[in-house]
Amino acid sequence: MAGLNWLINGWGTWLAFKQFTSKVRLIPDDDLPSVSILKPLKGVDPGLHENLESCFHVNYPRFEILFSVSSPNDPAALLIQPLLEKYPNVNAKLIISNQEVGPNPKVNNLLASYKLATHDVVLISDSNIRVSPDYLRNLVPDLTPDVGVITAVVAGTHPNGLGGYLEASYLNTFFARWMFLARVFSFESVVGKSMLFKRSTLERFGGLKTLSGYIAEDYMTGHAMKKLDLKVEIMRSPVRQYLGHYSFSSFWKRHIRWGRIRKSIAPLAFIIEPLFFSSVTSLFFALAISQWFGFHFGLAWTIHMTAWWIMDSFLCSLIDQFSWKLILAWWVREVIAIPIWLAILLGNTVDWRGKDYRLLPGGLLEGIAK
Amino acid sequence: MYLADFHIHSNFSDGKLSIPALVDYFGKREFGAIAITDHFCEDTSLIGKASTYLGVTLNRATFPIYCELLKTEKARAWEQYGMMLIPGVEITKNSISNHRSAHFLVLGELEGIDPNKDITETSDQVRAKGGLVIAAHPVSTQKLEKQTYHLWDRREGLRNKVDAWEVASGPYLFDEVGRSGLPVIANSDFHQERNMTSWKTVLRCERRQDAIFEAIKKQKLEFFFYREVKRRESYHPQRTYYGGVELAHQRMGNLVSV
Repeated sequence: MAGLNWLINGWGTWLAFKQFTSKVRLIPDDDLPSVSILKPLKGVDPGLHENLESCFHVNYPRFEILFSVSSPNDPAALLIQPLLEKYPNVNAKLIISNQEVGPNPKVNNLLASYKLATHDVVLISDSNIRVSPDYLRNLVPDLTPDVGVITAVVAGTHPNGLGGYLEASYLNTFFARWMFLARVFSFESVVGKSMLFKRSTLERFGGLKTLSGYIAEDYMTGHAMKKLDLKVEIMRSPVRQYLGHYSFSSFWKRHIRWGRIRKSIAPLAFIIEPLFFSSVTSLFFALAISQWFGFHFGLAWTIHMTAWWIMDSFLCSLIDQFSWKLILAWWVREVIAIPIWLAILLGNTVDWRGKDYRLLPGGLLEGIAK
Repeated sequence: MYLADFHIHSNFSDGKLSIPALVDYFGKREFGAIAITDHFCEDTSLIGKASTYLGVTLNRATFPIYCELLKTEKARAWEQYGMMLIPGVEITKNSISNHRSAHFLVLGELEGIDPNKDITETSDQVRAKGGLVIAAHPVSTQKLEKQTYHLWDRREGLRNKVDAWEVASGPYLFDEVGRSGLPVIANSDFHQERNMTSWKTVLRCERRQDAIFEAIKKQKLEFFFYREVKRRESYHPQRTYYGGVELAHQRMGNLVSV
C-alpha cells in the first residue's frame, strides 16, 4: 500500500515538475485572441489593492478588465475608481449589478460582466489572485480547439498566522499534486480562481447562468467540458493567491466547506482519500516494517514521514518559496488531515458567506435555511 | 421516408459518445430524427443512489446542463443535417426484482421531470405538454442484463398512459409485444457504435417534433433492420441481415416492412 502510494504521489510530483518546467507556446501578437478578464469582487481582503493593480500591468496585446460588485456600497468598489483613473490606457470598467439567478453569489456577481464582455475568450480570475505580467501570454496559447477550459494550480503565498501557513502547505503540496493526478484519473479538477474558456463553448450548455445553481461552478464547468469531449488543461505556471492573515478557525471552516463540496461531487473518491494522506501511508509503512523486520514502529513512521516531507518540499519549491514556518505547518497539516476528513464525513451542510446550505449529490445546493 | 431512433444514450449516463458526437454520428448516416434519452435514475432507491455516485445516470446536478446542451445541439442537428433531435430521458427505476423494475422514455418537454414520480403521474405531466411516453424494453431483452418487467405486468392499466411499447430493442424483436395489440415502436437502445446493428423506426411524416409524435401515436410507422457496411468512408445500410426481414415478416406479420 505504501509502495503504491509512493508510486502515485511520486508520479503526481513528476507531472507537476514537467508542467511547471515546460515551455510556453510562442504565438505572434497578431495571432493572439483578445481576452476579457472578469474580476468578481466582494469586500476588501488583505492585499486586495495590490492584487487588483497587478491586472493593470498585464503585458498582452488586446484585453479588457471587467470588475464587478453586487452593490455600489461594496468597499471594493471604492478601490477600483482610483485605479481606473491611474491607468487610463487600460480598457477597464467597474460593473455594478445585483442580478440573482441562483444561489451561487460568485456567479450572480459575474452575470452582468459576462454579458458585457466583448471578447469570446474569457478569463475569470478571483480577486485574491495576484497576477504576473506574463499571465495571459502563458495561458492563452494553450486554449486550442480541443481544450474546453484552462485552470491553474493555486500557490498560497504571503501566509500569515497558523491558518495561513496551514493553507499554504496544503495548497502547495497535496492539492497541487492531486490537481495533476485527478486529471490522469479522469476527474475534472477545475479551480475557479483562474478559469480561461471561450464564451461560445460555455454557451453550448447555457452559459454562466446554468452554473448559478451549483456551489462548485468551477467543477461543473470542467464536468460539462468533458461531456463535450473537450479537455481540461492546467496552466504551465501556478497562479499566486495572496493568503495574508488566516486564523486556524478560518482554515478549519474553509476546509470543511471545501471537503463537503468535494464529497457531494465525488463521494467514492472522498472515501478513499485518507489512503493517500502521508500520515496514513506512513502508518501502513511503519506497521509493515515493524511486523516483518521488528523495526521500531514510531521510528519507522517518523522516517517515512520525513521522506514524504522531502518530496513535498521539492514540490513546494517548484510552486513557491519554502520557509521554516511552512515546514512546521506541513507537519501539523499532515497530522490534522484525518480529523478534518472525519469532520467532513460527519455532515452535509456548509456555511458559506454567512448562509447555511445543504449539499445534494453532484454539488447542488438545497434549501437555504438559517 | 427517413430513419429514426428514439432510444440513444450519451456520456451523460452510460453511453460512450458525447451528445455532439451522437449528432454527427446519426447525422452523417442521414437519419431524419433521433431522441437522446439518457438514464435518469430515481434517487430514492439504493440502486439509484449507487448509479448516481458511479456517474452512470443523469442526476439533479447534471440534468440542467444536459437540457441546455440538447437545446443547442438540436439547433445544430437541424442546421447541419436537417435532422430532428428530440430531447428525452429514460426514467430508470431499478429494483433487485425484475418485476419491480421499469424503464420508460420521456420525449419532448423535459422541464420539471422528476424520476421519483410514478409513470402515471409523469405520463400525465409529459403528455399535457405535448410529449410522449414510451415503455422501454418491457419484456426480456434476451441479454444477460437487468430486465424490466414492471410496466409489462401493468400493461392493461397503463394502456392510456403509454404512447408506444418497444417491440424491438437493439437486434431483438419482442413477439409478445408485437402480438399484444398495443402501439409499438422499434429502437436501438444505442450505447456505442456496435449497437448500430439494430431495429430502427421508419417515418414518412414531416421532420417536425409534433408530426413525429403524431405518427407514433397513430402508428404510422414501419420498422427496418439496420446494418451497415463501411465502404470508402461512407456508410451504407445493408438491407438484409441473415434473412432478418423475412424472419421479421414471419414473426411480426405486417408490422415490419422495408
